[in-house]
Amino acid sequence: MGYRLGIDIGGTFTDLYLFDEINGKSKVLKVPSNVNDPSISIEEGIQELLSSNQVEPSSINYLAHGTTVGTNTAIERKGATTALITTKGFRDLLELGRQARPSIYNLFEDKPSPLIKREFRKEVTERLKYDGSIDKELNFEEAESIIKNLKTQNIESFVVCFLHSYTNPTHEKQIKKLINKHFPDIYVSLSSEVLPEYREFERFSTTTINGYLGPKISQYVSNLANRVKKLGIETLPYINQSNSGVMSIQTTKENPARTALSGPSAGVAGASHISKVAGFNDIITFDMGGTSTDVSLIQNGEPKITVGKKVAGFPLNLPMTDVHAVGAGGGSIAWVDNGGILKVGPHSAGATPGPAAYGGGGLEPTVTDANVILQRLNPNYILGGEMEVDYEAAKQAIQDKVANPLNISLSEAAKGIITIVHSNIIRALRVISVEQGFDPREFTLVAFGGAGSLHSAYVAKEVGIKHVLIPQNSGILSALGLLTSDLKMDFVKTRLLNAKEENLEKVMSEFETLSSDGINWLEKEEVASSKQKVEQKIDMRYLGQNYELSISLDCKLNTREDLDYILEKFHKAHEKNYGYSNPNEEVEFINYRVTAIGEVPKISLKKYRKDQTDPYKARIAQRNVFFDKEEKYITTNIYDRSLLMPNNKIEGPAIVEQMDSTIVIPPGVSAEIDEYLNIILTL
Amino acid sequence: MEKLKVDPITVEVLGNALLSIAEEMGGTLVRTSYSTNIKERKDCSTAIFNEKGETIAQAAAIPVHLGSMLGICKEILEKYSLEEIYPGDMFIANDPYNGGGTHLPDITIAQPVFYEQQIVGFVANIAHHSDVGGRVAGSSSGDSTSIFQEGIRIPPIKILKSGVINNDIIEMILLNCRTPSERLGDLWAQIASNRIGEKRVGELIDKYGNSLFQEGMSEFLLYSERKIKEGIKKIPDGVYNYTDYLDDDGIDLDKSPLPIAIKIEVSGDRILLDFTGTCKQVKGGINVVKTALLATIYYALKAVIDPSIPSNAGYYNSIEVKAPEGSIVNAVPPASVGGRTDTCQRIVDVIFGALAKAVPDKVVAGCNSAVSTVLFSGIDSRKNDFFVYPESLGGGLGARPFKDGMDGVHVHVTNSSNLPIECLEMEYPIMVERFELRKDSGGAGEHRGGLGIRRDYRILESVEFASHADRQKFKPWGLFGGKSGEPGLFIINLEKENQRVLSSGKVSEVVLESGDILSAQTPGSGGYGAPLKRELEKILNDVIEEKVSQDLAEREYGVEINLSKRTIKKRENLVAKGDEV
Repeated sequence: MGYRLGIDIGGTFTDLYLFDEINGKSKVLKVPSNVNDPSISIEEGIQELLSSNQVEPSSINYLAHGTTVGTNTAIERKGATTALITTKGFRDLLELGRQARPSIYNLFEDKPSPLIKREFRKEVTERLKYDGSIDKELNFEEAESIIKNLKTQNIESFVVCFLHSYTNPTHEKQIKKLINKHFPDIYVSLSSEVLPEYREFERFSTTTINGYLGPKISQYVSNLANRVKKLGIETLPYINQSNSGVMSIQTTKENPARTALSGPSAGVAGASHISKVAGFNDIITFDMGGTSTDVSLIQNGEPKITVGKKVAGFPLNLPMTDVHAVGAGGGSIAWVDNGGILKVGPHSAGATPGPAAYGGGGLEPTVTDANVILQRLNPNYILGGEMEVDYEAAKQAIQDKVANPLNISLSEAAKGIITIVHSNIIRALRVISVEQGFDPREFTLVAFGGAGSLHSAYVAKEVGIKHVLIPQNSGILSALGLLTSDLKMDFVKTRLLNAKEENLEKVMSEFETLSSDGINWLEKEEVASSKQKVEQKIDMRYLGQNYELSISLDCKLNTREDLDYILEKFHKAHEKNYGYSNPNEEVEFINYRVTAIGEVPKISLKKYRKDQTDPYKARIAQRNVFFDKEEKYITTNIYDRSLLMPNNKIEGPAIVEQMDSTIVIPPGVSAEIDEYLNIILTL
Repeated sequence: MEKLKVDPITVEVLGNALLSIAEEMGGTLVRTSYSTNIKERKDCSTAIFNEKGETIAQAAAIPVHLGSMLGICKEILEKYSLEEIYPGDMFIANDPYNGGGTHLPDITIAQPVFYEQQIVGFVANIAHHSDVGGRVAGSSSGDSTSIFQEGIRIPPIKILKSGVINNDIIEMILLNCRTPSERLGDLWAQIASNRIGEKRVGELIDKYGNSLFQEGMSEFLLYSERKIKEGIKKIPDGVYNYTDYLDDDGIDLDKSPLPIAIKIEVSGDRILLDFTGTCKQVKGGINVVKTALLATIYYALKAVIDPSIPSNAGYYNSIEVKAPEGSIVNAVPPASVGGRTDTCQRIVDVIFGALAKAVPDKVVAGCNSAVSTVLFSGIDSRKNDFFVYPESLGGGLGARPFKDGMDGVHVHVTNSSNLPIECLEMEYPIMVERFELRKDSGGAGEHRGGLGIRRDYRILESVEFASHADRQKFKPWGLFGGKSGEPGLFIINLEKENQRVLSSGKVSEVVLESGDILSAQTPGSGGYGAPLKRELEKILNDVIEEKVSQDLAEREYGVEINLSKRTIKKRENLVAKGDEV
């Protein structure tokens, strides 16, 4: 027995979560992120956390790390100088995409320019037909001279993308050999390996992102492994990926694109784990920070996985946790527009200058300032007393920029800002629930992030949600989530086949290949066979449709009965997702998907003993707080979260303050502390 | 600021809630629809109206769909008295001349919303159906000469009466369509979408009370009105003219060019767009009905004046329009309208051209401004099945006051995605030989025009080819000294012995044999500002990136380039020409 460590890097802070396998207790630490080399803040954070808790580095049994290096590299366009080798006639495919422009009405908003300059997008003679047969042979001489000519161009990474290569990778592999001959150690990404799935633009784009990030991510994870080793930690770190699984350092180096949208996935995994333990399987996560709010829907304890999101404006078609983001955060700026209406966001005061109340020179009124005026946030200090609040500055900003122009009182203006930011959040909640056919009333809202619990009771009420769960460590949920994730790798292959008995053998052979790829990967990752698991999915559609549904396949497909079984599942899923099904229509198999899973032991959260119901020990103060429905300031009890014990019950109006967030309990809402120290609001 | 009847916070929240309902209606429609066109290309729109039938809130939509939304409720209320409308009724319509539509494939379904036995508003949605019968598969063709060739015409009639579906009407519609089961699926989705909208609007009224809801809606309209008027006030008073020309109508090829003329009068917060001088309506299907004209104008002004204005009646009512009846921009029956978007695109260019003189920093130079559409049909022997494969191609977006135009995009009133090459080769006996930017198609300028697209199709089995496209004769113009971009063209077997250039962008029944290559080359767009002012580094970069040839660059920009050394210098003895339009 020993310790498990989760480390999550965000733009501002690096969060560490240390879990003691013996007694189930946890220790947390937040340190500022080092922007230039994030692995430095990791090293410092680990040292501080371990020494202050007298933990030997060698007793760390498991280390998982979530990073935004991939995302930031793509957004800031600081990746490798990359060259593309593609089919003759198609070097502009990355630039043309599907021809759509990003904004219909804004004439000045540009498509992002491709990550590879046109100068380095090279065409070679070769062509495959749709069935993988060869239309034009690969011209080796031409290809070799093109590759040789790139020698003088300081190319750091190669991407090879041929049409229809998902069904026949031969030409791409031949090009790789040529590249290796002339550039022995260079990073090479083949579209037939990164994403052997049809639809060329999405495949090319995903492969390009992989190549663009490859050298930098490889360097980063190598540095990380070295630093961790130097500290005396014997286990190798695992890296978080977008599908809320983790992977080894080596797999990360080969698949850097899989980290590109991993940011929100660990938080969702953490929220999902805590909620499941607390008895809530159907939840909506509500993560509100300084600049934005992320929401996602989890049914039966399973985060929704999607493909087809974008990073830095480019499609990345790898499986990832389905998170919807909206520009509503504590720092969102309130402003009166030229039609005389109050707007909040999408602009944010960010970390600098920040909200006016933070005294960093911010002059624009923000959501945080409104919370200060309404005294939902402590008007004197926050962060457990570490940071003073400039009430007067908040007042000035709201008075000048909102109350005066609209000719309303200060508290009306502050309440108005909150009302509008709530309506923006509610729209986001509706996007992931009602617009997808889910009824939010059947879900529990799980609030976290710095600002989530300030607003959760009100937004829950608006969409008809009955319960809100606020986890104990709501500020470091991502670091915790890292310790609840399994090793995961997705494998996919496209092959269009009619869903008929005579094709089942072909389907099974695709799955056999993919599964053995999966098992091989698990072996390489040194996962014990008892911990290995393979999940299969098959993408299906009605003949002639152009969109697919992923159906999980929990049996072999050998007989007519097996086929009927999976068809039945497909019709049902179609009915549920789209409102109708056509059992008489022909069905097609499109993609075969295998996810190889290596189970890691999960952290088991500590249960605390029940205390009495009256939380008087945690009551630390009183202040006047403005509540919406009552439309006035009410004398309200303030509680210290760290003193609240299981079974404590609080009736609103009340405010609970904790180190990194504040919980608003409006009149009529009751709160109870559960055995895991979560706060459960009942509306 | 003067106090509003409803406070500005409630107006914002209510507007947000209505938009959210329209979006949920859209989500329902996309999710439950059957056809690829709606599901994958999202060729549909949703909206909420007040009891007068004025648009209040509309989900982010295809701009030209605005037209049908403008017409539908007005037509219903003209035809039916309030006593004849019951809870649970739903109206269907598509006719451009009687049903508020802009072309027949766009079918609109609208439902009244009742609250305490009173009509308090409407919800409606519109979906582009991939076939509604008519002379050709897909219904819209560049060379149909009458609306009667373009499919079934539906005036506003009740498809549901008091919640009960009228199957007779559905049967009749389906019998007139080539793909009836797909149509039925899509119609059901449209009905489901309205039901959600009606329910949600009811819930919203429950929450706010009817009078606050009504006042809030009025305030929301006034809000848009204030915003657009603020915007118009910033345009200098004056009269601004522009004329551009369509190639031809695909039928009377000698009747060319076809002028679209505009005079824009701005005075204070008023704006009048007068199309007097525009050509008469034509035989071919590029005519535009009034609602489509209005939708196009609303798109163009929103893009120039303020993209954040909510698309609702408060905005629309602030714009004055004069368009001669029987002209190509205000057609009367039985003019065919299937290819209307080519003309809509050009109307936007003309508006930008006129406003360039007033607000030069808000407009873009002439764009590709056609919806270059190619359509292949025939028998696929692999499946022994008839197929129709339409594809619309983008082109250049004009150069902008502070930067180059965009290369290879859809512009103005359309923004649809194309079918992946790997999908189309799997589905149809056609291969794509190249898909690339057209070098030298963007007009030279201080800011260069965006490039057009070249897409070559290799025919594997004999097919029939049809098209509608424009800007093959009249180039996309530049602004303030910027040069024109290249026009588009369709060529069969380029640079081969049997090469032939198609005579018009609008053809049909052209037979292509196995082995033929159809090269579709779409227009680029105009430059902005005098070429001699262009930064040398950008000129050199364009040549390195092969977006501009060295020849053209040296000629247009007055420079000498050494490509291997990557150096560029100005040729001597050059005098910059003055700024001129």
